[in-house]
Amino acid sequence: MVTRRMMLASPLILSTSALGKTTAPQDAYLYIIWPTDGTHIKGAFWCRFGLRGMGVTHAGDKTPNTGHHHLLIDIDEPLEPDVPIPSDKKHLHFGTGQTEARIDLPPGPHTLQLVLGDADHIPFDPPLVSKKVRIIVS
Amino acid sequence: MEDITRRLAAIVMADIVGYSRLMGADERGTHQRVQRLLRELIEPTITEHRGRLVKQRGDGFLSMFDSPVEAVRCAIVIQQSMVSRNLDLPNEQAIRFRIGVNLGDVIVEADDIYGEGVNVAARLEQLAEPGNIYISGGIYEQVRYKLVCGFQSLGDRRVKNISDPVPTYRVLPDPASVNNATTGRKKFWYGLAAAGVTSFGVAFATGSFWHPGWVNSAITAVAPPPSGAPVPLAAADKPVPPPDGDRPAAAGHVLEAAVIPVRPQIEPPRIAPPPVAPVAPSPTAATIGEPDMLPIPGGHFLMGSNGDMSEQPIHGVTVRPFLLAKYPITVRQWQDCTRAKACVYQPSGNDDAPVTNVSWDDAHQFVTWLSEATHRSYRLPTEAEWEYAARGGTETRYWWGNVMKPGFAVCKGCGNAVTPMKVGTGLPNPFGLYDISGGVAEWMEDCWVKDYSGAPADGSARRSATCGEHVLRGGSWNNGQDDIRSASRDYYNASVRYPTHGIRVARSS
Repeated sequence: MVTRRMMLASPLILSTSALGKTTAPQDAYLYIIWPTDGTHIKGAFWCRFGLRGMGVTHAGDKTPNTGHHHLLIDIDEPLEPDVPIPSDKKHLHFGTGQTEARIDLPPGPHTLQLVLGDADHIPFDPPLVSKKVRIIVS
Repeated sequence: MEDITRRLAAIVMADIVGYSRLMGADERGTHQRVQRLLRELIEPTITEHRGRLVKQRGDGFLSMFDSPVEAVRCAIVIQQSMVSRNLDLPNEQAIRFRIGVNLGDVIVEADDIYGEGVNVAARLEQLAEPGNIYISGGIYEQVRYKLVCGFQSLGDRRVKNISDPVPTYRVLPDPASVNNATTGRKKFWYGLAAAGVTSFGVAFATGSFWHPGWVNSAITAVAPPPSGAPVPLAAADKPVPPPDGDRPAAAGHVLEAAVIPVRPQIEPPRIAPPPVAPVAPSPTAATIGEPDMLPIPGGHFLMGSNGDMSEQPIHGVTVRPFLLAKYPITVRQWQDCTRAKACVYQPSGNDDAPVTNVSWDDAHQFVTWLSEATHRSYRLPTEAEWEYAARGGTETRYWWGNVMKPGFAVCKGCGNAVTPMKVGTGLPNPFGLYDISGGVAEWMEDCWVKDYSGAPADGSARRSATCGEHVLRGGSWNNGQDDIRSASRDYYNASVRYPTHGIRVARSS
């Protein structure tokens, strides 16, 4: 239902924004391969990104059904669907088409979540967002 | 016929402390150095601030300004420049000014000015401690809300031959010096300086960190530390940092008004070498819109902060004098490169807006083209150069202090998270740089390394074997307050464009 509403809303968004939204196949699925939910980790770790039903490419590539990964760390705010995914210490970009990353977080509980971005770092329509993974770093 | 011209003016009177002693020690050398100062520093600074050099004497000068704000700014620039110039000199050769500023009615003649207004300025100057600026109540009332700095009231002072006492204030451009002036914590600072905290010397060199009492300390600070003296960082760790503080050493005393946005008049801290290379654009340059470059004096500073893991360890860096663009590169400037087919990227947006959505690779194409087009060696700044310039001598979170203030930066959480439409709309930092904090994030020459372990101490760019990511500094309009601090670091893939990324160019001098 959410998806449908967003698709309906998109023509309005187009009229107010210069940035058109890139559509994603309905069956595409974004997920974090590792770590899994509830993992206890010592020190830095490799986070591995999974994507089904679409391809990973570099940012700037407008080939249909491709995008690149963004890893959100400890982000609780809802994703803004129509603007480029922010870039800062909590929004890591993998614009060269990386499918894994070495992550070094301070000790304590953290959350990890993937968002697929299009050539311009804007979430797809419908948005491709992974389940949020909770980990504890010691 | 009344042929006397009277007018209201801000009068700046300065004299050299211990001029007779300096002349006694080295008459010819002192005279030459003072003349050189007048020519290279005093006159241009007065002109820059729309003032008039009325009279120069061997041991000082008299000048007048239409605007009290410009008069005080001019005085501050001169004092700050003197501190940096004195750094390389033995104590007995250091030239120190005392400056008095008064607002008053004067009689103007072709080559002199007279009147009580001038006399009060002269008396204030005589009251001032070496390296200080004392201003009268009249000036204070005019500048107190217009200059972002501290003022210490010294009460009403009786001065010779003036019937009414003069309300007197000392100008304190730095928050820490306010604290020193009011709580007598000087001893601590002296201790630090004596222990060889060269960073403080640098802060002096760069400008915003001067204090009357510290001038002597600044000079001792350039000497090698005595054996067994604590290293600067260890010493600096002693005071308890406030919650907001970026740095333990300097952050202690948050003053809303922290640093004066003075004009970029600070010169390299040397007298002997030839003057800074002219920065006026060449004829070729004019046709391609060469960036407005500001000379940044060399110096030593403490790079990094305790704000984030990536900014640690805090380490001392010595930066050579260099030139840094006053503004980020604009869309118009970039389009020259695109038209020349030297830049692949075609920017969009207002001509005067900072260019955005450029990758590091794009930025490199631009500086390569700019260098070829102008026959000058343009490049991206190094991270150390950038932080040194961004701090402008400050050790606070932002160049204006520890607290976000409206109008000082464009960022998410600064109350104005919008794409900048034009460069140079905010306030300049102490080096005269605009849009340094927030706006567009700026690409650095350095490869990204996750922290400062093993970072170079000579201001050069950090290299790494795999250099897929480069550093970005300053944060952007789409970053939070924490990401636009002077010490904040970010990074991104060199080949990837992102909408908040821009460029500010540098050149070695």
